[in-house]
Amino acid sequence: MASLSATSLSFKAPSIQSTRISQVLRKPSSFQSISFGGFQSSKSLRLQISCAAKPETVQKVSDIVKEQLALSADTALTAESKFSALGADSLDTVEIVMALEEKFNISVEESDAQNITTIQEAADLIEDLVQKKPAA
Amino acid sequence: MRISVMSQMQRSFSIDLPSLIPLQLPSHEVKSTSLLKRYSQLLSPIEKDGVDQMRGDELKKNALLARTLVRTTISRYQTNKEVDPRSLMFKKNVYGKPEVDWQNCNNQPLHFNISHTDSLIACGVTVHVPVGIDVEDKERKIKHDVLAFAKRFYSADEVNVLATILDPEVQRKEFIKLWTLKEAYVKALGKGFSAAPFNTFTIQSMPGTEGAYNLCKTSEVTADPPEETKKCNGGWKFALFDLADSHYAAVCTEDDQANEGAPTKIIVRKTIPFVEDQLISERIFL
Repeated sequence: MASLSATSLSFKAPSIQSTRISQVLRKPSSFQSISFGGFQSSKSLRLQISCAAKPETVQKVSDIVKEQLALSADTALTAESKFSALGADSLDTVEIVMALEEKFNISVEESDAQNITTIQEAADLIEDLVQKKPAA
Repeated sequence: MRISVMSQMQRSFSIDLPSLIPLQLPSHEVKSTSLLKRYSQLLSPIEKDGVDQMRGDELKKNALLARTLVRTTISRYQTNKEVDPRSLMFKKNVYGKPEVDWQNCNNQPLHFNISHTDSLIACGVTVHVPVGIDVEDKERKIKHDVLAFAKRFYSADEVNVLATILDPEVQRKEFIKLWTLKEAYVKALGKGFSAAPFNTFTIQSMPGTEGAYNLCKTSEVTADPPEETKKCNGGWKFALFDLADSHYAAVCTEDDQANEGAPTKIIVRKTIPFVEDQLISERIFL
């Protein structure tokens, strides 16, 4: 019988969706390893893993990006939108990060700041940092 | 080193007008569709994908012009033989910095780096030493308070220099100059931004010179009380100058060990590939 103890299952943001594993692996510092206790099939695993940043976070990031890059309000942005494809250079990226810090009251490491390339990555990092903050 | 500059401007512009007139570079630029088509034929499939990924026609054109400038510029500096710009291959170093993939010809001494803004693209080429280049529109507005931005990202010494500037316009311009210099260094280093966070090094102007700068690295000597040591030795050379009256350009090259401390000659050319090429300046930087 499958046994799954709570201690053997660990995960946290950023997302572990399999389609984005390659993205996570590119940044070893943020890679989280997931280990499961023995279990037989995913059908018996009644556990929903949802690790993508909340849609509201993605929306807030999109709004800030649009403002920094002076994009028109009806520019269609998705979570996968790349800053560089929208015309952002490194100075824009840093300004976006500063605006996100102000909006979400977080503090981003310099090395993380310059390495954010998509809206999704920004949203994931934000949620990670917000979660790490000590409870009010 | 040589810098080729491609401005987004009409053909007729550059030749007759004296350089003192501050010009508005119109956003109507290299318009000719046949010319743009010729450019796109130079690109590799991967580069064409990169161009297609850009959102909007202006950004697509900008990306096309950037790759065109890189290919045509590098191929010009091959002295042994005629090099077809189409034949050049590129790769990235382990940190993601673009480099020429010389394939079977080893130890090619040519290095390059590129930077672009909405209206100007610059490509720098050097022999034997790594190079980094960054250009920025002089009028670029910073959305945040300049000093707050600097305190967040620049070194303490740089913040002190900026804090003494009372005129906000002058302060903003100095901020941008520093940004281009710091970017140029990180790009020349080629190890990604994590290798040289902006607040771990200071770039200061060399007194008595125009456009020459020095690099000082701050490192913490763990002691009680903790001390910071500053090393301002050579190793990297900087030059900052105007391009087309509208942009600042910062160039950083590694100090060639064979000629350590020797002056650097920088040649600037303005070019529209296949159309025109104009010598803008030749300067010696100490």
